[in-house]
Formats: sequence, C-alpha cells, structure tokens
Amino acid sequence: MTETLISKIQSSFGAEVLKKEKNQIWLKISKKNLLNLCSFLKDNGFEFFSSLSAVDILEKNIIELIYHIWSEEKKIGLNIKTTISRKKPEINSVSEIYNSSQIHEREIHELFGVRFLGNPDLSELFLENWQGPPPFLKDFDWREYVREKFYNKENENEKEYFE
Amino acid sequence: MKMKKNTLNNYQEFLFGPAHPASGNFSVRIKLDGERIVEAKSDPGYLHRGFERLMEYRNIWQNTVLSDRICVFEPIAWNLLFAEAVEKLANIEVPERAKYIRVILAELSRIQSHLIWFGGLSLATGFDTGFKIALGYRDYILDIFSEITGARVYPTGFICPGGLRKNLPLGIENKILKVLDKIKEAVSYFEKEDPVFESRTKGIGVLKLEDAIRLGTTGPVLRASGFLQDIRKSEPYEIYQETDFSVPVLKEGDAYSRFKIGLLEIEESVKIIKQLLNKIPSGEFLNKKMRVGMPFVLPENEVYVRNEVARGEGAIYIRGKGEVNPDRVKIKGPSFLHLIPVLEFLLKGAEIADIPVIYWSLNPCPADMDR
Repeated sequence: MTETLISKIQSSFGAEVLKKEKNQIWLKISKKNLLNLCSFLKDNGFEFFSSLSAVDILEKNIIELIYHIWSEEKKIGLNIKTTISRKKPEINSVSEIYNSSQIHEREIHELFGVRFLGNPDLSELFLENWQGPPPFLKDFDWREYVREKFYNKENENEKEYFE
Repeated sequence: MKMKKNTLNNYQEFLFGPAHPASGNFSVRIKLDGERIVEAKSDPGYLHRGFERLMEYRNIWQNTVLSDRICVFEPIAWNLLFAEAVEKLANIEVPERAKYIRVILAELSRIQSHLIWFGGLSLATGFDTGFKIALGYRDYILDIFSEITGARVYPTGFICPGGLRKNLPLGIENKILKVLDKIKEAVSYFEKEDPVFESRTKGIGVLKLEDAIRLGTTGPVLRASGFLQDIRKSEPYEIYQETDFSVPVLKEGDAYSRFKIGLLEIEESVKIIKQLLNKIPSGEFLNKKMRVGMPFVLPENEVYVRNEVARGEGAIYIRGKGEVNPDRVKIKGPSFLHLIPVLEFLLKGAEIADIPVIYWSLNPCPADMDR
C-alpha cells in the first residue's frame, strides 16, 4: 500500500526518494510542488504535522527545510526535504493545510530568517527586541556577538561609573 | 501582575506569569472583558537557552549531559531520546540489558512526571494537600534515580549512546518493587472522588477531537480527546514491542479527563516495570566498541527519532557531517504546541479563574518548549 503511495508521489509531484527506513521515508521535492504534495498527503491519511527542521548549509548557499509528517493510520512518517536559496529565503506556508505548522514556521522565521508567505503570524517568539541577524544561521558568530554586545558595553559602563 | 486599563472598549490587559505561582517560567498576555477572556497570547522565551545551536558546538558526550536539561520534569526521557538519535545516526548497537534498564527508567520517569503534573493541577484547583501528596510520593522515585544514576533529578547523561554509563546496583529490583507499592498508594489518593475537584475540572477547557488534531496535540492531551496515538505502540523503540500494556483513551477532552488519563497511564507504567523487572538479562550494559568520553565522529547522515515522553511526542532531528560535533540538532518538545496554539485556543472564552486549571491540565513544561 505504501509502495503505491510512494510511486504516486514520485510520478505526480516529481519527488525523489532519498532513503527508506523501517517507519520513515525521506523524500526530496522542489519547493514549487510542496503545497500540492502537502494537500495530497492531508487527504491521504497523513494528519499529523510532527515538526519542521531547517538546516543552514553555507557551502552550497542554501537552507534546507525538512517537513516531518506522520500518518497514524499507515504508521509511516514522511520527511519531505526542500531547499531554498540563502539570499532570498522565501517559501509558501503550509499553515493553511496543516494548522499546527504555523507555530513551527514562526519559530524557523525567527531563528533562520525564512519568510513563510501566507503565514498569518510571524511575530517574535523567543527573542525579545532582537536586533541582530537570525541567530541560528551558520555565519552568525554568537560568541563574537555576545562579546561585542554585552561584555565590552558592560566594561564601558563600569568605566563611566568609576570615572 | 501588570494591569492596564483600556477605556475605549473596557478591556483589561494583564499577564498570567512569569511570577505567578502556578505558571512556571512562562507567561500569557490576557485581554479581559469582565471575567471572560477575550484574547490570550502566549509569551514564551523566559527559558530559551538555545540548546539546538549550543549542541552544534559540543561533542556527543557533552550533548548527552546537555540533553537532560531540555525538560526539567523528565530529564531521563530526553536523555534516552538523544542517545537513541545518536545510535540511529551512527548505527550503534545497544545491548539487551541496557534496553531493559532504559525502559524501566523511562517509565519511572513518566510516573514521577505525572505526579508533578498532579501536584500542579492540585495547586491550581486550590487543593494544597494534593500537591504535597504528589511531590512526597515522587521523592521515592527520586531516591531510586539517585541510587541508579547517581543524581536525583538530572541523570547527567546516564543513558548515553551505546547503552548506559553504569551498571545497575545490586538489589535495586526489590527496592523498585517497594516503590511501586508506594506509587499505588499515591494513585489511590488521587482516585478518590472529590466533588470540589470535579466541579473545578469537569467541563473546563474542553478540546474536541478535530481541534486536538488540527492544533497538533500529542500524548495524554490527544488521548483525552478520544484519539489513540502512542509512539510506544505505533513506532516501537527499545523493547516496547515485547511488553504488554494498553493505552488508555477517553472521549470528553476536558481537564478532568486529561487528569484521568494521567492516572490510568501511571497504572500502565507500573505494569510495564513489573513485567520487565524479573526479565532483565545479564550481560553488557554498554556496547563494547563504545567508551564514555572517547572521540566519536558522527557520520554524514540524518535521522528523525520520535519518542513518547510523558507529555506527548518528543522528537529529535540530528544531522552529522563527518565531524565530532553534529551539524544540526532540532528538538521538538510536546509543550511547544500545547502551550502556544492549544493554550491560546482553550483560554479564549474561558473565565479568569480557570486559567491555572486549563494551563496545568495540559501537562505543561516551559523548558521543553523554550529549549
């Protein structure tokens, strides 16, 4: 049953099967087909949006997004991988199809700076009044940021205080 | 509490938490119309420590210790999940003996986590004795943890990739059996019908099945709304496929049925532990190729591992790049969904006095939400 589903996904959405595990299948798909695939999966028993991961790959200048979707009926998890460019990190939101993905997208937006078009709320989540670049990107050196932003400043204040 | 009066439409705004005794490191911005909540907005981030990023700078042995701190209430479950993720990534075999001990620890951890949950729920309903009963009995389990792992709450990476850091101490089986009797005693306290507690929880915070699925709930919250989903059954890990236990499901979806699910789950956990205690095989407790602290290179691979932790679905996505440190770790905690979309949904239209009850009925852990 799963074989027919996978071959259908391959033929109609141009997906590439990366690897197969016991309960998990890894797919790669271009970002154009993501919304269609998600609505197809929602209609075919994949009800649970488990989570959304992002990986920043500096060498290839891309951000990989991995959508983890689970079907309780089939006992299969699909890990759908899609890539977006680092220069223009934009992708259509799947929050209309999977409501629970809204909060995951909001988190990825804050930490990786990915814009999810069509997501109703992308306001700040964990970070308050954050001014710097998205903190989970690989080229963001948090050690340097903390040193500049906090340690030196504290010392300056101390200087003024003692003078 | 910070009060702000909006004279235009007579709404009052205030914060529930982070200084409220029942809220934990978490707050909700609430807009009130009289006694009724018009809008609730979760405000997480008080405990955001950036673990996902921090793990990219640490090797796996340091990360096992870090993984304890993902959730304050059930460090062992997260310890186990991280170890499983590394094992799946690098194809490390785990000895049978370690698997048995891991499941026993995970179930004990589930029981103590549920006891804290009941403690919090009792506090939220003004039933202080319940809080003391729950935390008092939880201490018996912490004594067992202290003897096995060396620490009461945080096992500091006791469950490590490849097995366990130490063997079981001699004669611990009988001690665990005695503690299980104590747990039955605690459950009998909470099983007593109490009209005041029931009137405070029945019909409060009702989550219908379609909303529960739509908002992405998992674990006890989803099962209290009438959907049977348990990762121990659907994607068995360790030795859950060989153990005999059932998964309780209720239909009502209110705070009371979530509490009942917790009680029934404790009984199932006790059943699992009793089954496994006599069957622990002898042999190695750590894979012979692994040594704690040894330099270990993670292969270029990626895996997604899910576990049923006490609050629902916990998951870790881990990716290696042929170095000692992982390239990326993503941690998904169940409370991330329970405390933001679900809590906002349930609080809308509720009464101000029900905020702590609804909050605690979701079995919250701000730590695994913020990470």
